[in-house]
Amino acid sequence: MTTAAGVALVLGMVLAGLVVVLLLAVGLQHRQRTRTQARDARRRAELMPTVHALLDDDGDDPAPGPHVTSAPALLDELVLDLLPQLRGSDRRVLQRVLATRGVVDRAAADLTARAAWRRGRAATLLGSAAATDHTPALAACLTDRSADVRSAAARALGKAGDPASVAPLLVSLTGPRALPVGVVGMALLDLGIPVLPALRTALTEGSPPARALAAEVLGVHGDPLATSGLLALLQDRWQPTEVRRAAAAALGRIGSPLATAELTQLLATGPVPALQRVAAEALGRIGDPTGIPTLVSGLHATDPGVRAACADALAALGDEGRGRLRVLAIGTSPAGRAALSALDAVATARQWRRPVTPR
Amino acid sequence: MRELATDLVLALNWTVFGYVVVLDLTMLLLVLAGARRVAAGRRWKGAEGHDEIFASPLTPAVSVLVPAHDEEAGVLDTLAAALGQRYPALEVVLVDDGSTDRTFQLVADRYALREVVPHPTAALPVDGEVLSVHRATTGDPLTVIRKTSVGRRSDAVNAALNLARYPLVCMLDGDSLLESDALLRVARPFVEDPTQVVATGGVIRTANGALTDRGTVLEPRLSRNWLVRIQAVEYLRSFLLGRTGWADANALLIISGAFGLFRRDLLIEIGGLDPRSLAEDAELVVTLQEKLRRERRPHRVVFVPEPVCWTEVPETWQVLGRQRKRWAHGLGQLLWKHRRMMGNPRYGVVGTVALPFFLLFELLGPVVEVVGLASVVLSAGLGLLDVGTALLMVGLALALGTLLSTTTIAVEEFTFHRYRRGRDLLALLAAGVLENVGYRQVHAWFRLRGLAAALTRRAPVWTAMPRVGFVGGTPLPDAPADAGGQQAAGDQLTRVRS
Repeated sequence: MTTAAGVALVLGMVLAGLVVVLLLAVGLQHRQRTRTQARDARRRAELMPTVHALLDDDGDDPAPGPHVTSAPALLDELVLDLLPQLRGSDRRVLQRVLATRGVVDRAAADLTARAAWRRGRAATLLGSAAATDHTPALAACLTDRSADVRSAAARALGKAGDPASVAPLLVSLTGPRALPVGVVGMALLDLGIPVLPALRTALTEGSPPARALAAEVLGVHGDPLATSGLLALLQDRWQPTEVRRAAAAALGRIGSPLATAELTQLLATGPVPALQRVAAEALGRIGDPTGIPTLVSGLHATDPGVRAACADALAALGDEGRGRLRVLAIGTSPAGRAALSALDAVATARQWRRPVTPR
Repeated sequence: MRELATDLVLALNWTVFGYVVVLDLTMLLLVLAGARRVAAGRRWKGAEGHDEIFASPLTPAVSVLVPAHDEEAGVLDTLAAALGQRYPALEVVLVDDGSTDRTFQLVADRYALREVVPHPTAALPVDGEVLSVHRATTGDPLTVIRKTSVGRRSDAVNAALNLARYPLVCMLDGDSLLESDALLRVARPFVEDPTQVVATGGVIRTANGALTDRGTVLEPRLSRNWLVRIQAVEYLRSFLLGRTGWADANALLIISGAFGLFRRDLLIEIGGLDPRSLAEDAELVVTLQEKLRRERRPHRVVFVPEPVCWTEVPETWQVLGRQRKRWAHGLGQLLWKHRRMMGNPRYGVVGTVALPFFLLFELLGPVVEVVGLASVVLSAGLGLLDVGTALLMVGLALALGTLLSTTTIAVEEFTFHRYRRGRDLLALLAAGVLENVGYRQVHAWFRLRGLAAALTRRAPVWTAMPRVGFVGGTPLPDAPADAGGQQAAGDQLTRVRS
């Protein structure tokens, strides 16, 4: 046998051995998992009456009994699964169970663990347990070396509900370890209306991404007190496009007619179609008839997206807007087609809303 | 002269052997890297729950684009799965691309379609004539475009893009079934990082043999057809692990055309899908990568290593051959079109690693494999073949290939565990061995023909795969895995014919 053949033989045997080991591992895992699933299902069924008893409790008892503290670890999983679905006193009861069983303290200690998944899981757990005592530690995790942990910390801050989290969350949008805007946005939304004043301040004092996000969240909340700040952003031509786009969309969501003039000007002179589209959509949401002439002009825009947005906005402006569309919905010009199409969409929507007559 | 021939043949044999070993080792490395990622994902799923994304007002709306040509066998199930997605805001745009069967009629009857004036949001060029546009009057957010076919899927997708209204577009094959939260899963990266993520894709698996009901896969099962079983292993390796590895290196070149999510504004910017390409899914991603890297715009193409979509795969050698030839032809077109990126550090890992890998191991792979087989025959003819050594080398290559397949199946079992029946698992393992004996060699021949078609610049021909479809039935309560009487239960459930 040559040297090469000898090496091939040894390698082949090693590989065959690895294959056999893998096959055995797969078989064992399959069998083990089936058994574990059955055991967990049985134990969960045994623990559910304990959880139901806790939830049925009137909440006066400050500390869960020994049957809860000595229950197996699966109870923690059950409670953590249930927590996101609960509100009010039920939620507080289960949070207290987690604290009593030492789950919260262990998670807080895990925030500095070596493995990223442990830090991330700990942050997620602290968020679910609404542990506001740990806001500074979670805020420190916003600059963690792992992107997943940073996101988990942001989400946990949102769920924990401490308004003091707004500042570190907005700061985390910039820097070498910046967080994605969507993650911070969801956390800010979770924090609810107590953070609106801080967001209004961020419209003028934050970084460009913070200004854009603050505008977006204020719009989702429909905060009328933010109108002047948003208008200032919209009027400032030196603001980045993304900030102006977010401000325009927010003004549309708030629905204040005070924004109509600025939005019509943006639609008429907008530097990019993306801004014009958002302005048209916002005018449609506000529903102020003084925007109609500019929307009608927008039907002749070169960008098909702008034309479609203007037509949809006119259709949303009630009889007056739809009347203008009917006048324009003639011929095969792009404006006529856009008008016709918007009217068609209204007719189709009406058709399916009509109750079906039983045969 | 004989000495020279001997040296040549021996050199050829060793080159081919070395190539196969390097290819399998590279794949094994990719699989291990992907397995590490998948395993980490199972230990901790990350910060964002799907319930939060579903409830968030910041979740972007999605237009699901479904090109369909002669898809009467499964189009209603595909639409039911797409329209039944657990997603806050979506519309479905189905393109009946010159179907000669009852595709349109079935959809028109089910959704009470009404002809409307089209509402274009873009003006991408479309070669086929748009005959009419319809909207559902049943309350479903469904738009149907009827157009003449020019024999290219890309043309149908571009027609749908012109009518898509939402910031994200999802491309879905007309014979694919989505899991109920598939969109939530693949949209998650867009929600978390809306400024950088430009495309996402998920794991596609074989639907043949699965138990389904009105567009929902109730229980994944393996088909009894060995060709389908081998493809199931292939899909697992490619989608579950190979792509996860590439995505981790930020060098993912393919988001499957069967199910992928893209930013609509970018697709419009690049002029839609290339109408001449036969590998339009890969072509789209590479074009996006080229443009964004050239313009130094930050971007990420993300792969979500979770099962999200089930699709029919060919059940006969003939159909498989056509499909794989088309894929190889498309890959050839793609690499030629983007040849300037090859080895160019300006394009980062995509230019320096991913594209050369695809050239060496994907495009040229079949050449080496077929030449290798021919050289063995030649060696035997010249009396140069040492049967013992040759068998050892073949055995080594087979062991490496089998290790690769078994690792893939082990990762599936340790992480997702979707095939609950022991017999399915055994069949997968057996298919992983069989793949290396016969299938791999025939597959190389199909790909070689595709490469030849690309080299001779033959006109691209898109041939639709004959669909077997999903058959309606009555769902039953969940039967326990590995329980007796499952067959009887299965017979009453909907099953993809296999």
